[in-house]
Amino acid sequence: MARLLFWRLLRTALAVWALASGVFLLSRHDVNTALQLAQPEAADLRTGAGTPAARQAQEWATRRRLGLDVPLFYVGRHVPAHAVEGQWHWNGTNNQYHQWLRGVAHGQFGTSFRTGEAVTARLGRALLFTVPLTGSAALLAAVLALWLAQRLAARPAWLGPVRGALVGVHALPLFVIALVLLLLFANPAVLAWFPAYGLDQSTDADLDVGSQLADYLWHLALPVAALTLSALPGLTLQLEASLAHELGSGYATTARAKGLAGRAVIRHHALRNALLPSLAQLAELLPALVAGAVVVEVAFALPGMGRLLAEAAAARDYPVLMGGVLLTGAARLLSLLLTDMLYFWVDPRIRWQS
Amino acid sequence: MYRVRQNSSAGVLLCLALALLLQGCKANRREAAAIKIRWAHDPENLDPLQLANQTAVDANYLLNCSLLQADLVTHQFAPVLAEALPTVQFLGDSLMRLHYSLRPEATWDNGRPVLATDVAFTLKLMFCPGLPNETPSSEYRFIREILLDPNNPRRFSLVCTGQAVEYVQASGDFFVLPEASLDPGGEMRRFSLADLQHRPATALPNAVLQALAQRYAAAAPGQTPERLPGCGPYRLVKWEKDRYLRFRRKPHWWADRVRPRPVLLEARPARLQYVIIPDAATASLALQRGDLDVFPQMPTREFTRLRTSPAARATLNFYATASYDVTTVGFNTRHAVLADALTRQALSRCLDAAGVLKANELRQGQRTVGLISPSDRLNYNDSLTPVPFDPAGAVRLLRRAGWQRAARPEAGWRRQLPQGGTQELRLVVRYRADEQLFATIALQFQAAAASIGVPVALLPTESGAFSMALRNGDFDVYVRSLRGNPFIFNFTSLLHSQSVGAGNATGFSTPESDRLIEAIAAANTQQRRAVLLRRFQALMQQQAPIVPLFFLSSHIAASKQLTGLHPSSIKPGFTATAMDWAAGPTTPQ
Repeated sequence: MARLLFWRLLRTALAVWALASGVFLLSRHDVNTALQLAQPEAADLRTGAGTPAARQAQEWATRRRLGLDVPLFYVGRHVPAHAVEGQWHWNGTNNQYHQWLRGVAHGQFGTSFRTGEAVTARLGRALLFTVPLTGSAALLAAVLALWLAQRLAARPAWLGPVRGALVGVHALPLFVIALVLLLLFANPAVLAWFPAYGLDQSTDADLDVGSQLADYLWHLALPVAALTLSALPGLTLQLEASLAHELGSGYATTARAKGLAGRAVIRHHALRNALLPSLAQLAELLPALVAGAVVVEVAFALPGMGRLLAEAAAARDYPVLMGGVLLTGAARLLSLLLTDMLYFWVDPRIRWQS
Repeated sequence: MYRVRQNSSAGVLLCLALALLLQGCKANRREAAAIKIRWAHDPENLDPLQLANQTAVDANYLLNCSLLQADLVTHQFAPVLAEALPTVQFLGDSLMRLHYSLRPEATWDNGRPVLATDVAFTLKLMFCPGLPNETPSSEYRFIREILLDPNNPRRFSLVCTGQAVEYVQASGDFFVLPEASLDPGGEMRRFSLADLQHRPATALPNAVLQALAQRYAAAAPGQTPERLPGCGPYRLVKWEKDRYLRFRRKPHWWADRVRPRPVLLEARPARLQYVIIPDAATASLALQRGDLDVFPQMPTREFTRLRTSPAARATLNFYATASYDVTTVGFNTRHAVLADALTRQALSRCLDAAGVLKANELRQGQRTVGLISPSDRLNYNDSLTPVPFDPAGAVRLLRRAGWQRAARPEAGWRRQLPQGGTQELRLVVRYRADEQLFATIALQFQAAAASIGVPVALLPTESGAFSMALRNGDFDVYVRSLRGNPFIFNFTSLLHSQSVGAGNATGFSTPESDRLIEAIAAANTQQRRAVLLRRFQALMQQQAPIVPLFFLSSHIAASKQLTGLHPSSIKPGFTATAMDWAAGPTTPQ
């Protein structure tokens, strides 16, 4: 098992490196847009418009400041002046890719094009806000789905309406759920129970730890509810369908024939087998934990990975974007690995077969 | 047992809900006297040499001072660090000397006076290699030297290349930084401004300049402005990225000693807090709840809705001013079908500016004949009339331009070229996908063009890709806004031949328009410039590379408890430092 895990981890690391390298090299093909966006906005009237030569000098200075004045890769195609055909030549280690890779090996993802800040610090700060938000939502959704699916599998009288409601919520985009919650529970015209934005009251007043925690939870209530509501139907409906399938199996009938109560059959016999597809669904939530939830972060004005990466993409802030790609890519591949491990644990037959 | 467990979990849930509700009630009380202002996005970088957006500019006005600053009330530049507007001395026909004197009250936080050497140092920073100064080095290149008065450390003269009116204002519109913090030994004094301006990019590294660049990078004023404290009225107390920026007024600011004190030197709020709320609907809810005090740049529909709501009217004041942002449609004159003025004039008659204003902006905005705001009585050419929405007239003009309607209606318009071959009139309209107003204009244009048989395809484009498409000429027609102000009328970056492939997206240029743009940029009196600007507007309407549709309104909603907002057409649209609570600030609880 340990040997299998080692090889899988090695493969995962190689896949993350290949993914990040691909994205790095592709992103540099769009570097002119990054340079353009770093220049003053063309839509603003300015005193000094500058001659083409001055603009070129300005662009070169920006390129040098952003570290884009060295060749992209170890080998490159150089087109000499007055020549039509380019020639391949070796650029040595003084290239953008080598510098980036060396930085990554040392845990440094470079500095942001926009702010000059270290990317590691920027990502770390965003994760600090994102993980509690997405983590608590994922946990709540998983626990609620587990509880609700077991109840639904027992075929109660309220099965139809609840299932209909779940399908209805499942059809709603996340931004609609977030807006509905905002307009219902943070609106002085309806119910102003929860705050409309932020993570705290952001005052200078000193609050004790308990008040700070209560304030934080109070601010997180609606965003977590929005994320939970969006994830809950998918998880519940899948698990409920899976449970219904398992309850129709011979071993479940046998268990019932032995006189076991319906709930006991579900919990002790059917649930473990029904969980397999849900494990893959739960593992899907792991990349979202670090990638954030841009819609909810924008709607509730929360800082986090989603907003950071969306804004970095819009501004072509490639160092930040690369850091995000590495992080979410690693989370995605690790989640796949984790799913496989959980499969082995839940159903040993899979391990024997593999 | 199960029932007991169920009851206990219900009780826990109830307690939690009650706690949250109590927390909610408690938080609705105002706890501090900070005035909370909404920003749609974080300034990201507060480096005074690298101001990338309006929020960064606004924040820097709190932390730093410039020689001159635009007065939002009078729409004139007024002195801040300078004692008065500079006196102007023309030297020959191409140079100008501007004589400045700094206020004797002006000091840094440590009590050291702000001197001419600080101004000289700041100007040299703009041209020092290794610093993020690409933009100021381009904008302030017209200042070729600074001459310090040996008899008075507060007096100096700026020698400018050119005698333009706007150079007088622009010469003082930069934040003055402390020499003592970055160059305590005064080593930069051995360099003249001209030395740095003409220093080739390939020059060997200089130890003094390198050391300065390292000290500047170490101070990181973009992220930690407190390490390079300016002489502005506020300190940045806390900056939580993407959440808020808190400013606290300095207890002893130098301008407190200035009598009489102009509005620009007011700093009334003890605390200012800019909160970052990207979504306008969320910001509106926060404003209605009292969690926000000022909501500038409010979307028109939300502004109109709240203004008619009795509950909102009871707690909020509403201000609408004409902005200097003009919505335009541009034609790519480098494309053969749009190279002639008649075709562009014809297509501009398919734009229903009044209809779009009514539909999208609820009639709030001003139609215009050109890129100058109708509010600017001196420079606006009121002898012209806005281009009418006239599809029938467009058909006549297309025929005059040599276009002929094909026999089949869906085949559109074609014209024979003198050198043989035919052209077909088919257009692609690009606009930023995130702007509803641009989408409305593009759809209206498409419908009107279709009614006269011109096929138009719409291409909503992501913001960064849109910038590149404009730069590369990858469009036929674009829709976008231009941000203007009442001070700068330099159209070189937009319409001059030397900006083709950069800011001049339309690719339009004629020798006449180039000469006119240069003359406007060089005009040394406002009257002379006004005459030229009126001619320029007439020429642009006749040539129609850009069709200015309307100037949008700017909307602000603010708490009724605030006074001294001074709503203005100039961004940010109000004077944050002159605001105050009507009944005096409440104390923290």
